[in-house]
Amino acid sequence: MAQNVSASHTEEVSSTRRVIAASSVGTLIEWYDFYIFGSLAKIISEQFFPKDNPTAALLATLATFAAGFVVRPFGALFFGRLGDLIGRKYTFLVTLVIMGGSTFVIGLVPGYAQIGFWAPAIVFVLRLLQGLALGGEYGGAATYVAEHSPDNQRGYWTSFIQTTATFGLFISLGVILAVRQTLGLETFNDWGWRVPFLLSIFLVGVSVFIRMKMSESPLFAKLKKEGKTSANPLAESFQKKDNLKMVLLALLGATAGQGVVWYTGQFYALSFLQNACNVEFVQSNIIISIALVIGTPFFVIFGSLSDKIGRKWIMMAGMLIAVVSYRPIYTVMYDAANLKKKTEITEKTVIEHKAEVKGTDSLKTTITKKVFTDGTTFKETKKEKFPVDPAAKAALPKDKLKPETKKETVLPQDIFMKMIGLVFIQVIFVTMVYGPIAAFLVELFPTRIRYTSMSLPYHIGNGVFGGLVPLISTRLVEATRPGPDLPPSDPLAGLWYPILIAAVSCVIGVLYMKNRPTAIETE
Amino acid sequence: MSAIQKIMGIVWAAMGVGIVPLAIRQAMTEIAKKPSEENWIFWSIVIVVLMPIIAFSLITFGVFALKGEYDDIN
Repeated sequence: MAQNVSASHTEEVSSTRRVIAASSVGTLIEWYDFYIFGSLAKIISEQFFPKDNPTAALLATLATFAAGFVVRPFGALFFGRLGDLIGRKYTFLVTLVIMGGSTFVIGLVPGYAQIGFWAPAIVFVLRLLQGLALGGEYGGAATYVAEHSPDNQRGYWTSFIQTTATFGLFISLGVILAVRQTLGLETFNDWGWRVPFLLSIFLVGVSVFIRMKMSESPLFAKLKKEGKTSANPLAESFQKKDNLKMVLLALLGATAGQGVVWYTGQFYALSFLQNACNVEFVQSNIIISIALVIGTPFFVIFGSLSDKIGRKWIMMAGMLIAVVSYRPIYTVMYDAANLKKKTEITEKTVIEHKAEVKGTDSLKTTITKKVFTDGTTFKETKKEKFPVDPAAKAALPKDKLKPETKKETVLPQDIFMKMIGLVFIQVIFVTMVYGPIAAFLVELFPTRIRYTSMSLPYHIGNGVFGGLVPLISTRLVEATRPGPDLPPSDPLAGLWYPILIAAVSCVIGVLYMKNRPTAIETE
Repeated sequence: MSAIQKIMGIVWAAMGVGIVPLAIRQAMTEIAKKPSEENWIFWSIVIVVLMPIIAFSLITFGVFALKGEYDDIN
């Protein structure tokens, strides 16, 4: 008897692990697909969206923003409804195929030079399909895992889904760097950038194969058998007051704050290192990558902890600590790389000048290299391009003659480690707000409309509120610039947007949300 | 707690109402100051995407809170 119970328990655990693995791998691949487009944005722009063609440039902007802001929530509604009507398993299989297919085809589309306007138009449509698929994937995976999990371990099991967004970012960076290193920069820029896109089809193939073998969520299967599924999940989710109030609570009290903390801790930190601190490209990416790797297990730790002490206070604590500590953390980051606070070893300063003529243009390059007493090195490359003909040069507007300046700071080991620590702290905030959120969202809504109801607030919170962090934060910093060529008076001004959103979200969450997990089978 | 939830409901609804003229006025001022394509895109996103979401959700949430819809949650 005892042996039978033990065997049954082992089988149950193994089955749950299979469910989590199948769901997490698929979601991880979807995030990977979504991020490689962003990570390769510069090359994609050169290949498909030439700046001198205004329509193509407009499509590039729309592709960047529309996929995140408009299409993701729309995908959440479309696939959420489908998931509540026909089932979780087939719906998130469809999103996976759409995502993988779109990504693969992006890798095959000929460039603007070969097929003209069709190139940006096709890539634009494929990018929209990616956003649509992503909008449908997360809710399906989270719901599917949650509906297989025992009540007292839902935070733990769903937290594996929560690691996929961060891992997806990490893997996309890793694959791109590996392909670039293997093929060399020139080949990579020529055709090698297509490899990470093409690779997606194999990953998706494996994931689809695994998912095909999985059975439908037991809770949904039971509802379907009893004929209790919703006939109109959209109307039930958003037209019925009792459910709409929970959707709004999820959005304002949880996902909006989570979205800005998530984007600030990962994307804004990278952008701040590169643009405000001028930390060199590879070093800044390594700082973020190490912090992400060390921080990722905390998604599971906080997810698991939420099963014991409740979801609310972990998420609210993450938001509150982020609100009060963002400015101090970023001040330390800024000061650690601030060259004005370092002592230059002037005898080691090197200035190189290079002049060449390319066609009708003259290219003048000035490279300044500096070394500081703490081991920091700095390189500034200034490129001036102007017509050789003095009359043509005089006819050009002033802004066309402005030199292109690139600043790169390489930090010494101790400051490098300090930066990793500071980004790691932010990743911890991310894991606090994001680790328990899937379980929290799942428990807010009834099984019959769960997929639809949880997907929309998640993608508005993450995609719109979070996705706007880079854009709004950059604008806030720019607003403190006293003149076009002067540095911003407050390089930390960009933090006010995530601080404000997270603060409002935290107050709403503290006042209106409940703490204890709910048993979803007995609703 | 219920009283605070209700009072704060007024604050959320007021914020939702207040953000509409504020955002529109700011957008008009900024675009008039510098009518670049970049400015148009930024303010279009704010006015067409972000502002309606914030306004609608805060107003509706505030009204629900004021009516005591969230009293039974805790």
